[in-house]
Amino acid sequence: MASLPRPFPQPDRDTTSFWEAQNEHRLVFQKCSRCGHVRYVVGPLCPECHSFEHEWTESSGRGTIYSFTTVRHQTHPAFVPPYTVLLVEMEEGPRLIAQLRAPEGVEVKIGSPVHIEWEDHEKQSLPVFELDA
Amino acid sequence: MTIRNKAAIVGIGQTEFSKDSGRSTLHMALESILEALADAGLEPKDVDGVVKMGANDDIFEIDLLRSLNLPNLRFFNEVPHGGGAACGTIAGATAAVVSGMADVVITFRSLNERSERRFGESSAGGGMTHWRQYTLPHGLVTPAQWVAIYGQRYLYEYGYDTTELGHVSVLTRKHAATNPHAMMYERPITLKDHQNSRWIAEPLRLLDCCLDTDGACAAIVVSAEKAKQLKATPAYIAAAAQGTGSRAEMMTSYQRESLARLEESESTAAVIYPLAQLEPKDIDVAEIYDPFTPMVLMQLEAYGFAERGKSPELFHNGKLELDGELPFNTHGGHLGEGYLHGFGHIVEGVRQIRGTAVNQIANAKTCLVTSGVGVPTSAIILSKEPY
Repeated sequence: MASLPRPFPQPDRDTTSFWEAQNEHRLVFQKCSRCGHVRYVVGPLCPECHSFEHEWTESSGRGTIYSFTTVRHQTHPAFVPPYTVLLVEMEEGPRLIAQLRAPEGVEVKIGSPVHIEWEDHEKQSLPVFELDA
Repeated sequence: MTIRNKAAIVGIGQTEFSKDSGRSTLHMALESILEALADAGLEPKDVDGVVKMGANDDIFEIDLLRSLNLPNLRFFNEVPHGGGAACGTIAGATAAVVSGMADVVITFRSLNERSERRFGESSAGGGMTHWRQYTLPHGLVTPAQWVAIYGQRYLYEYGYDTTELGHVSVLTRKHAATNPHAMMYERPITLKDHQNSRWIAEPLRLLDCCLDTDGACAAIVVSAEKAKQLKATPAYIAAAAQGTGSRAEMMTSYQRESLARLEESESTAAVIYPLAQLEPKDIDVAEIYDPFTPMVLMQLEAYGFAERGKSPELFHNGKLELDGELPFNTHGGHLGEGYLHGFGHIVEGVRQIRGTAVNQIANAKTCLVTSGVGVPTSAIILSKEPY
């Protein structure tokens, strides 16, 4: 497998606030100023009421596992299996993809409560999840 | 005005399916197109339309035009969204010939997906934008991994284990085993083989995943009127439709209400049956896009062959066997014949309607063909008779 750097988000005019907040270890979502809809993934327009006006609201960082996969076949040089990727339904509603940080062999179940932690990389901090005690 | 049975597929062509074609995707595309034109009794000079699939394509249309010497194209179009585009090219071609914007339209797919660019490996590196920036940086980088998230949720919601995925693979490979064109010809598998195959991304094992294939397929679309003047037995296009879903991303639409169903396929089904004036029970053969086994189960439900969460039963009662009520993936699909991004399904659908398939279904009068899933998608219903 050829050498290839780990992919990272490339902030643009729509997403810079979202990724900068993550560098401060804050998960934020856009909340529509007109209808209150919390949206994710990031975008310029509220898909519910089509307003451009929004504010950034901070997530509690808590959620439950909605689905997951444990990757056991390597497909990218930067991601060495096994690792588990969770889809977590956050308390605010959006579902977030991030890796599980846990001892190997720990049982992962849909519905289990998790909380967010952060991993700092050179240019971008990214969330990971840990199972609640 | 309706498009129902106003257009037909009159020519099909395909190369061999292999792990290494030894030639370019353009070369194979041209071979399959020339074969399809000859099959229809047409020549390159008759062609005035091209509709091609847009994503992951190595072929520039301009190279195709120069190679075939097509100076008189009136209609050219490209359909986005990967494998979701396959039947969408037929839909576009149908619109063109029914409206009179073109007379003879080429559609095709050509991939060196095994020897050159494997979709199962990721080349993502550096800065990600758009929907990809929310998944790829976390190590969710290939279609199998994206689909595993849906599959896990499907199994959870309906209380199934992975043997239900295995039955899909076993039946599809059974049909491939009697298709000499299939990469898995004479290589059927058992449920035990499935359960013993290695994990790729749980709940998906190796035998839940489509093959990597080099090859090409092509199909020629003309109006029903013109089809009558040609030598080939037409497969009438009873209906062709495209469909989308809510909160759409490419294979990672994880914000939508349910991940245990396929909204794009449901949207397409809601359009295509009324357009064809048919119901699911009227379909004689189903060629269902099979990239990964969970997507087959969800599609069978979306297209009305089973209630939500009930499609695994179809694999228990023989309904989808060659002698069953709804023969399914008669060529062996992506899991057994080869991965042609949905175009192998189209070509097989035409053969079933013509009566020339290796696993021919007696009296097949209607055939549903579906395209890529978890993305904006498409489907066609082919008919032996205009009605």
